[in-house]
Amino acid sequence: MEKNRQGAKASYVALAVFIAAWVMLPSAFRRFNREAFAEFQAPALQLLSKSRDLARYWELRSRSDEELISASRDLSRINAALELKLQSTDDIRRENARLREMLRYPSSSEYLTVVARVISRDTSSWWQRIIIRKGRNDGIRPGAPVVFGNHVIGRVSIVHQNVSEVDLITSPSFRCTAFLDGDVPPRIVHVGGMAGNSLSAPRAKITVIPNDYSPPAGEVTKVVTTGLGGVFPAGLIIGTIEGDVLPTPEARLKEATMVPSKVLDRIDEVSVLIPKYPTPGEILMSPTEFLKLEEFK
Amino acid sequence: MSVPSAPLNSWRVLVLAGIFLTGFVYVVLGLMYRQIFQSSDLVRDAENQSQRVVIRPPARGIIYDRNGQPLVENRVRWRVKADLMALQPEIRKEYLKLLSQSKQESYFDKPDYDKLQENARVNVLNRWLSKIWFVVDDNYQTNKARTNKVYPLRDNPERQVNMDSLRKHLRESRALKFILISDLAFPGSPASRTTEEGDRAIARFIEQFPSGGPITLESDMVRSYPNGSLAAHILGYVRDTDELPPNTEGSDDLSLASLQRLKYTGKKGAAGIEETMDPVLRGRSGWELWNKTSSGYNKELIRSSPAAQGTPVTLSLDINIQKAAEESLSNIRDSVGRPLPGAAVMMNVNTGEILAMASQPSFNPNRLADRVTNKYYDEVDANGGWLNRATQGLYAPGSTFKVITAIAGMRNHKVDWDDVLDCGPFYRVGNRNFPEHEPVGFGPVDVEKMLAISCNVWNYRVGLSVGPELLALEARRFGLDRPLLKNLNFTTNRPFTTEIPYPATRMVVPDPDYKSRIGGGAWNQGDTANTSIGQGFLLTTPLHMACFAASLSRGETRTTPTLFPYTGEKVVHEGTQPIGLNRQQLEAIRSGMYRCVEEGTAKSVKIPGLPYMAKTGTAEYFKTGVKAHLAWIIGYAPADRPVVAFAVLVEGQLDTSTWGGKTAGPVAQEMLKAWADIR
Amino acid sequence: MTHRGAWFLLLLATYPWLLGADLLSSSMATWGLSFFISGAVIVTPCRRLKRWQCVLFAASIGFLYEAMRPIPDGSVALVLVFLAIYVNSYRSLVRSASHVLYAAITINAVVTLTWVTIAHLQCAPASSVDTFTFLYLATLQVSLSAILAALLISPISTAQNWVMDAIGLPVADITA
Repeated sequence: MEKNRQGAKASYVALAVFIAAWVMLPSAFRRFNREAFAEFQAPALQLLSKSRDLARYWELRSRSDEELISASRDLSRINAALELKLQSTDDIRRENARLREMLRYPSSSEYLTVVARVISRDTSSWWQRIIIRKGRNDGIRPGAPVVFGNHVIGRVSIVHQNVSEVDLITSPSFRCTAFLDGDVPPRIVHVGGMAGNSLSAPRAKITVIPNDYSPPAGEVTKVVTTGLGGVFPAGLIIGTIEGDVLPTPEARLKEATMVPSKVLDRIDEVSVLIPKYPTPGEILMSPTEFLKLEEFK
Repeated sequence: MSVPSAPLNSWRVLVLAGIFLTGFVYVVLGLMYRQIFQSSDLVRDAENQSQRVVIRPPARGIIYDRNGQPLVENRVRWRVKADLMALQPEIRKEYLKLLSQSKQESYFDKPDYDKLQENARVNVLNRWLSKIWFVVDDNYQTNKARTNKVYPLRDNPERQVNMDSLRKHLRESRALKFILISDLAFPGSPASRTTEEGDRAIARFIEQFPSGGPITLESDMVRSYPNGSLAAHILGYVRDTDELPPNTEGSDDLSLASLQRLKYTGKKGAAGIEETMDPVLRGRSGWELWNKTSSGYNKELIRSSPAAQGTPVTLSLDINIQKAAEESLSNIRDSVGRPLPGAAVMMNVNTGEILAMASQPSFNPNRLADRVTNKYYDEVDANGGWLNRATQGLYAPGSTFKVITAIAGMRNHKVDWDDVLDCGPFYRVGNRNFPEHEPVGFGPVDVEKMLAISCNVWNYRVGLSVGPELLALEARRFGLDRPLLKNLNFTTNRPFTTEIPYPATRMVVPDPDYKSRIGGGAWNQGDTANTSIGQGFLLTTPLHMACFAASLSRGETRTTPTLFPYTGEKVVHEGTQPIGLNRQQLEAIRSGMYRCVEEGTAKSVKIPGLPYMAKTGTAEYFKTGVKAHLAWIIGYAPADRPVVAFAVLVEGQLDTSTWGGKTAGPVAQEMLKAWADIR
Repeated sequence: MTHRGAWFLLLLATYPWLLGADLLSSSMATWGLSFFISGAVIVTPCRRLKRWQCVLFAASIGFLYEAMRPIPDGSVALVLVFLAIYVNSYRSLVRSASHVLYAAITINAVVTLTWVTIAHLQCAPASSVDTFTFLYLATLQVSLSAILAALLISPISTAQNWVMDAIGLPVADITA
């Protein structure tokens, strides 16, 4: 026992030395370490997600033929309606492309879409994120917007080999620009996550609202993406304003609380919009660039 | 697992237990503290003694032109700041690099450490700036071509760190963040040319620039002049103030003044309409009565009254005519290609509404919205940009005055509308020859022809026969020396607030009395001759001449100008009376001014399809000892049923290459075209 | 058998528990709480493993938790290693089942308090969580961790002991 305690002193010294070394280690090493442990966990997470899919499959297998027939009938109806819509969308898209060509306006719709299943959700008062089952192998890049239909879910923050972490709108590290309903001409506001108290629904915060803005009376005020930042396409719904638009302490501007448009814990599948060309921000943050990450830490 | 119990008095165990315990006690006590604060009446009573009033400035009202186009609005300003404290390690590293470099270069010289320190700081900040521009710069084509290795190096000095402001920052506000980009989205700034580009710059920064670093984006609300320097002299600018507009609503039983106050800085009008209409535009402050915690935080809102935005003000200006006036005025160059100072006014002849009032050179109120930097102030001052030449500039009216000489001649029966005078190449007054501007003279000239060709000799003769007193009386009847001081009925600290910002008060219509008053000696015939062609001691403003043209078009003597749109009430032109000419006499003057455009001195600025009346003028004056010309044109349009009157003045500099019709005419032409377009 | 790989086998045996906790967090995402048991799982191994193995085990457990969460590198791992060394050196603190229970609760709570504080400090400028709210949130999170540790330490400990028995590690020699 004495020996054990003697050794303990040495261990503490060793630990102290290690902590010192850890602080001074190059960030690349720490990044590698983190990445290694993430990759260690990834197969288990994937297995989990796939087994859940399998369970769902067997659950569906157990459905009666009657149910399946009615489901397929419903689907074909929806299909027909959508096909019709698609037709007009195609026309509009062509028209849009032509107009852009005429104006020499940069095309903003150059995204590749990757659909990904949600493996797990990890929310706390300090971070709000989901893990999705697509990663570097599928072409996911950090910073890419994550959407569900025309609703913004969040942004890819860290990409691993086969899984990626997505920061939700409500995560404090999330930020984007938006336009508010009823603001004519629209002016840019700032949206940032603020997580929220545990046991209460997470929220985002809208800041830098011009102080002469007032939301349209008696309506739910929608918050939509601007499409100007080169990350999110324009016109996606981010959320709705909750409560009043109130002046900030300095009273030069106003701010409001935003409820995300999608109940985030119900989502099983999301789409990642990967820009065709890397954005300047992405180039700036890429580790191969001479810019080092720790400058931002 | 039955084992003998360990001696728990070991100090290490106690220390560890202590650490754990402290952690828990901290959490539990924190919670209890909160509970107590929320529920205990005792504590609340104690808190009541420390209340605080927070006074919040309101948003200023918006200023519109007559068609509802915003001339002044409120805008969010986004500025990029750098935390120099957080950058310190990076700066240190750069400093050491520079130091070793300088030692390698010259081994024996002692390096200038301060200089190196400064260079290190600038290098680091510039590096960050280039990263910012890399993200913000909206050039899609180059983005496509950008690879990881291409890094844009900016040689645009406006996009680099300003050494002066950095030095100033380090001297005066070292503890604060350094402003790297003072206005990211300001149209016309290095970041962006248009509002949309500005929006894009902000959005790109927010969505793409990595957050959490030493570079932050901060925002506040500023007064914005979306058209830059357009109508700057009329609109004015704002300045920081601690005197916020009052609000006593709901605070009757409270002596807000006796409580501890927390006030934020507001804005007040410092010039132009911003100043004269300040009581309307400033709105009402909001106030909030808070309980504060012992540590000084606001804890609970007891009562409040919200801030109310100032009432919008609509001006009579028309943004299109104003733009036409300013653009054409700024295009006027002298023989060397320098822009010339000048002024232009256009008004509605019936209502006196000013549709456009321009003065060049001008200033950009956007650059004054925050704090007038001495540099910009001096820059504008050196150009003479602060002066509103349309209302404050005092000039000899030159040949445009000949209309008044003609009216004086006819009203005093010295000449009639059909009298023809023989006009040679000069006219001898006393022992001096007063020249015609045409070397061979004009021969027989009547009123109509005189106005078309602007004959000098006709005016010498008529002026001398009328005499200086009656000539001055006539000029005064048209109010040429009367200040245009229409009072706005605001109860402010100032004795009166005039509707037209900064009206001139020292116009001169000379008579023998005046000359002896200023110590100029006895009045002589030469003075009368000079006055009759609008030179000599005569001084008036372009706005006065525009009013004169408006009055003339209605056959009256006075027009009260206004900057606010016609409300439908009866228009009262203060002190106006019928012009006092018979139909033929008035017709002679009108057709003279009509011929001036059709075939006379203003024929170069004829507008097809829009016949109008005009009288040009070219007055001589001495600018720092050198003879130069003032170019004038006044008139009204359209010829058959007058609606608008105008006056344009251009100050020639250093030479006599400016002429009334040739130089000032195009400005009038552009204004009339703009007016015709929107008619 | 030299048991050099014992810590790794234990890690593999413990990982399903951690995964289970993550899954619980995921399905209870609306609560906004993290189901944290990484502190509790190091107690039993510390009774029987050699010190260097304890250190490796604790560090791995810590890094696994951090790997997919935006908390500063090493904050959980280093605290766990420190506690592992301490418990390993004073095995008498965990001499009986009830002592193990207390230790698990304490360690889990302390580690939770640590990462909660660090996460708060890291995102304080961005989030609107003030100090009082933080105390409330921290209390919630710490209590949850303590309860989880109390509930789960017995099955976790049984499973880990079973693995160590299977490997053939000597039974803990705890003599105060």
